[in-house]
Amino acid sequence: MSRLGIFVDRKTLASAEQLNALIRCRDVAEQMGHAAEFIFPVDIQKIRKMDALFIRARTDPMNVTYVAAKMAEFNGIPVIDDPRSIQVCGDKVNMYSALLKKGIALPKTVFLSKKDVTVERVASLFDTLGTPLVLKEPSTSFSQRVERVRDVAGFFRVARRFIKLSDWIVVQQYIESKYDWRVGFLDKQLLYACKYTIPSVTFKIQASVNGHIVYCGVESVPPDRIPPHVVALGIAAADAIGDGLYGVDIKNNNGDACVIEVNDNPSLESGEDQYYPDVYGKIVSHLFAK
Amino acid sequence: MNKRLHAAAEENGTTQSLAAVPGTGTLAIADPRTFTPYPPPLPGTSGKKNGIAKAARREPALTKDALYVIRKDHGYHVVAESYFYKTEPYYTILSLEYRGEVVKPSSRAVLEAYVIPVCLERVRARGIPVCDWGISQAYVPLPALIYGLNYYATNAEYAVVRDNSAAKERIRHITNNGKYPFCFQKFPEGGEIAEYTAIFGKTVDPRPDVAACASAVYDLFGLPLVRMIFIRHDGSCLLSSLSPVHYSRLDEQERAILAAHICSQEFL
Repeated sequence: MSRLGIFVDRKTLASAEQLNALIRCRDVAEQMGHAAEFIFPVDIQKIRKMDALFIRARTDPMNVTYVAAKMAEFNGIPVIDDPRSIQVCGDKVNMYSALLKKGIALPKTVFLSKKDVTVERVASLFDTLGTPLVLKEPSTSFSQRVERVRDVAGFFRVARRFIKLSDWIVVQQYIESKYDWRVGFLDKQLLYACKYTIPSVTFKIQASVNGHIVYCGVESVPPDRIPPHVVALGIAAADAIGDGLYGVDIKNNNGDACVIEVNDNPSLESGEDQYYPDVYGKIVSHLFAK
Repeated sequence: MNKRLHAAAEENGTTQSLAAVPGTGTLAIADPRTFTPYPPPLPGTSGKKNGIAKAARREPALTKDALYVIRKDHGYHVVAESYFYKTEPYYTILSLEYRGEVVKPSSRAVLEAYVIPVCLERVRARGIPVCDWGISQAYVPLPALIYGLNYYATNAEYAVVRDNSAAKERIRHITNNGKYPFCFQKFPEGGEIAEYTAIFGKTVDPRPDVAACASAVYDLFGLPLVRMIFIRHDGSCLLSSLSPVHYSRLDEQERAILAAHICSQEFL
């Protein structure tokens, strides 16, 4: 009997849906004849005893999930997310660089060093990329530290906050859309797809509006209703990062698709996989096939 | 190497060499064939021979946050006080990697060196004695040496805690009020912390165990400048962590060695 470790951090468990998704993952592994157990940060040494590791905690190259991924790697244990995917996807400068290197379609994107944040440079960015601009602190997740700015003063207000956390920030062309595609891939194969409907009060999939958290709507989409060029773009984007599990966000305005980002550790607790009941089964099979 | 070169490095920030692709407006990775070495050759340097100009052998400024990118051994070496994630040195390394250049340290090595459990496992695998470590959310066996394990923590900010009250306060601080787990190492009674600076894998201190560790650390991670923190006890010397070094904390001999490495660079 093979042993699957599911690495979780109770500090980042935010909802009953996340907990239910973890239990569903464990149940699927057990139904497939494997032993499955949750591994918490304090039990990290147990990873050595596992045959595969599935990390389901908020990943970052500087936190305990990276340690877990490296522990698995050191011991030759298949792991999702692997350390390189955490490193690349955890940093938008790194992630967009990987996509640009492979020629993946993106909104116009500029990396700006804090020493280049001058009035002249910022004004030229509005000239080049248009108005408004989207500023991203590179380690943003769940749309935190993603802001839309309409003028130089607004740019400086946001940039000042972001450069406290990173010496480089990402500046992007704003592309309006009512929804984003979230297409999940595992080892470059389509795993699931859904639409994230952006709330009318914001431009992000999640935002704090007047002190209330506003979430996007999630609508699972069956395979035959996903535009083929969206799938093709998603596969190319996932391939630019690696062979792991990724959620690729794509805007598809008038058939002109571009990648907004590639996420490691994609959410699977909000109905993303409604039309794809075998998502966890495929993940578990993939891990043990390695 | 002097203020001019430093200024040249400042002026040639890596963002500038991400060339815009005409017509698309999208930034792309510059063609490696058109990549300009960073920083560029010094104007007016003497001793040019066979197309290679050696930099002036004057001591570099080594001022706070100064970043030097030197060509050495068929690749680039990035010399900086800190290689912390998302800093200018980190992104300088990353942008060189995306141009296909060989660069030391690599962005992967930087993360491995600064994330303590990962660092210790890699060094241990090389046969160098290291501290045993554990991860905790709240409690540690006392006394212990503790480190934060999150983006906001720095390895230079470690603490030895000997009683519950001090441990509680320190843990609250390094975990951002319990938000993140932390790393601990048992601290033996009578043990002491010892710090040594390694410059391109060498130390000024002649102790063989420290020198062996410095050499292994350089082989593994390629960090030109790094502080090694050890726990010494009963004749043993166990590596506890690696951390950044401020130029201002280098002694005269260390500054001279580092300056010599930076100045002896060769530009194509």
